[in-house]
Amino acid sequence: MSAKPLGAGAAARPRPRPILRAGTWLAVPIARRATVVGGVLALALLAASLLTLTLGSLGIPLGQLAASIAHPDARAAFILNVYRGPRLVTAIGVGAAFGVAGALFQTVTRNPLGSPDVIGLSSGASAGAATFGLLLPGILPLPVGALLGSLAAIALVYFGTGRGFTSPSRMILVGIGVAAMALAYVQFVITAVSSQDAVVLGAYISGTLADRSWGDVAVVWITIAVLGPCALALARRLDLIEMGDELADALGGRSSRTRTLVVLTALGLSTAAVAAAGPISFVALTAPQVARRLARTPGASVTLSALMGAFMMVLADLLVQQSPFGSQLPVGLLTACIGGLYLGYLLVREWKKGTV
Amino acid sequence: MADTATAAPPRAGLSQSGPRRASPRARTLLPALALAGGVLLFAVFLSLSVGQQHVPLGTVWQALVSPGHAYDDTVVQSRIPRTLLGLLCGAALSVSGVVVQGLTRNPLGDPGLLGVNVGASATLVTGIAFFSAGTGQERVWLALPGAFAATAAVFALGSGRRGATPVRLVLAGAVITAVVGAYIQAVSLSYPQVFDDYRFWVVGSLAGRDASLVGQVLPYLVLGFALSAILPSSLNALALGDDTATALGAKVGRTRLIGGVAAALLCAGSTAAVGPISFVGLAVPHIVRSFTGADHRWLMPFSALVGPALLLLADVLGRVIAAPAEIEVGVITAFLGAPVLLLAVRRMRGRS
Repeated sequence: MSAKPLGAGAAARPRPRPILRAGTWLAVPIARRATVVGGVLALALLAASLLTLTLGSLGIPLGQLAASIAHPDARAAFILNVYRGPRLVTAIGVGAAFGVAGALFQTVTRNPLGSPDVIGLSSGASAGAATFGLLLPGILPLPVGALLGSLAAIALVYFGTGRGFTSPSRMILVGIGVAAMALAYVQFVITAVSSQDAVVLGAYISGTLADRSWGDVAVVWITIAVLGPCALALARRLDLIEMGDELADALGGRSSRTRTLVVLTALGLSTAAVAAAGPISFVALTAPQVARRLARTPGASVTLSALMGAFMMVLADLLVQQSPFGSQLPVGLLTACIGGLYLGYLLVREWKKGTV
Repeated sequence: MADTATAAPPRAGLSQSGPRRASPRARTLLPALALAGGVLLFAVFLSLSVGQQHVPLGTVWQALVSPGHAYDDTVVQSRIPRTLLGLLCGAALSVSGVVVQGLTRNPLGDPGLLGVNVGASATLVTGIAFFSAGTGQERVWLALPGAFAATAAVFALGSGRRGATPVRLVLAGAVITAVVGAYIQAVSLSYPQVFDDYRFWVVGSLAGRDASLVGQVLPYLVLGFALSAILPSSLNALALGDDTATALGAKVGRTRLIGGVAAALLCAGSTAAVGPISFVGLAVPHIVRSFTGADHRWLMPFSALVGPALLLLADVLGRVIAAPAEIEVGVITAFLGAPVLLLAVRRMRGRS
């Protein structure tokens, strides 16, 4: 796997950027194109969200939506509180969390393929969910198992590397090992439980938004409220690390400590996302890259990745809900398919340019 | 000659583990090869002897050389198919692991990387879902074309105008795995009956396989072994990088083609027979490399002996630890292989 830095090939900036200042302690450079892309993404997210609530036989017509949210009748209350509302809000949160986690992982590992999957988090979550499915069928919710499983996987990776989270390449290698064990275990459980439980488990470990509740919303949004600001604060120090550890240390970047903090933040976000919706694949991988390409920023932007991830998630779930397979089909299958095609597109483009 | 080939390859990642040793010589490796053969023989006997009905090793020997009509003989006979499959598939997986790691110059290369597993699963699931095919023998014929098609697709996608390169192959494998994997899940989850069938196949097991399976996959495996046998020197050259290999007179493109076909034959045959078994193809070359060094002329024969030994011992272990039930060998190999990977990583020096 090539370890090409994300910012490689970014052109030198043609002109100085306007800078947003507040006193002497805050000075944020503003990229015009990134701001425009962010605005467009936010509008697209809003449009996809409105479509999610309005489309289909269970949708609330656009004209009545505002009134229904203010004073819901029985049908609107059911749709907004039970059927589509929590699902939509979960989707936005999960997508944003995955997007930010992906942006952080890819920067810190300097690997465009960095995502929670490659360090074993998703597989650990599957294994945890599988354990709960096996031991306590129908008693405890799978998300609790997923949460415990991903924490266990993270602990295994942390102690497995022998160096904590300071060495990205070791993290990826150990993660592959942990993931393989976890997936083998999941397959074993799937053969061990009844066929009905197996189907439920199979759907859950693909990553699904079906039947989400406000509890899932709380899990992911509280985490975002806590860790989102951390991610924004850390993002600027990450820019230093991108230039290489020695240089970053010389400039006061404290690369080891930053790296550990960044990984912990990314892990927290993706764990919450996985606990809320199961191990949905490829959003963390593709959202930062698409956002970076659209905005032509040198590195992965945290804010844009969050918007992009949320938009991708809502759009994927919208497609699943309106698909002939029905709303129970795991949304993770669609993201995996689209993510895979995107990888293929990148590959074809790269070999046309002759750079791979 | 052997010395330069072993010491020269600049390889990334795992293989930098451990202290650099002088290349082991034939006079230490040949006895080691005999030892590996001995371990394999022991594994074969254990596989025939251990299980719900334990047969003493001496009786196993008797049952093999002069079969009578005793009950023990029947037990041993019933274990012959799974032992044969374990032998063949263990060797096939580990040899294809050597080939794939050599071709992709990726120490984490696994035959699954080339899409063989998802390809086999996809046609299998399709066959069961839409053509209600797929009991027993038909599975081999369902799994094989998918395995080959997926490998061909990975190579096609991975080969630009200038031929396949390691990075492209790895990426192409990831692409095919993601897209086809989603298809498999979508179909199997939409048809509970298919899922019920599929979940027992995909875990990878030597148990309950018919003896005729051996004959069905044997031609593919034999051809795969034969093609692999001509590769070691070319793979040694390839380890030096495409440019150096070409400069040394190696035919890089041809090596990749033959290697890809060999790995596909081996891995597809074994996957069709016993389901996807993870980690044997990944871990065995690593275990072997730790005492042979990187010379493929040693790596390959050793892997062909260590792989089946590992698979058979894992299968025996799966019969023992959950007795009277069994744990599928695919689960055991993952749990044996992953710690090997962890150890290898922990021994790595440096950060990159």
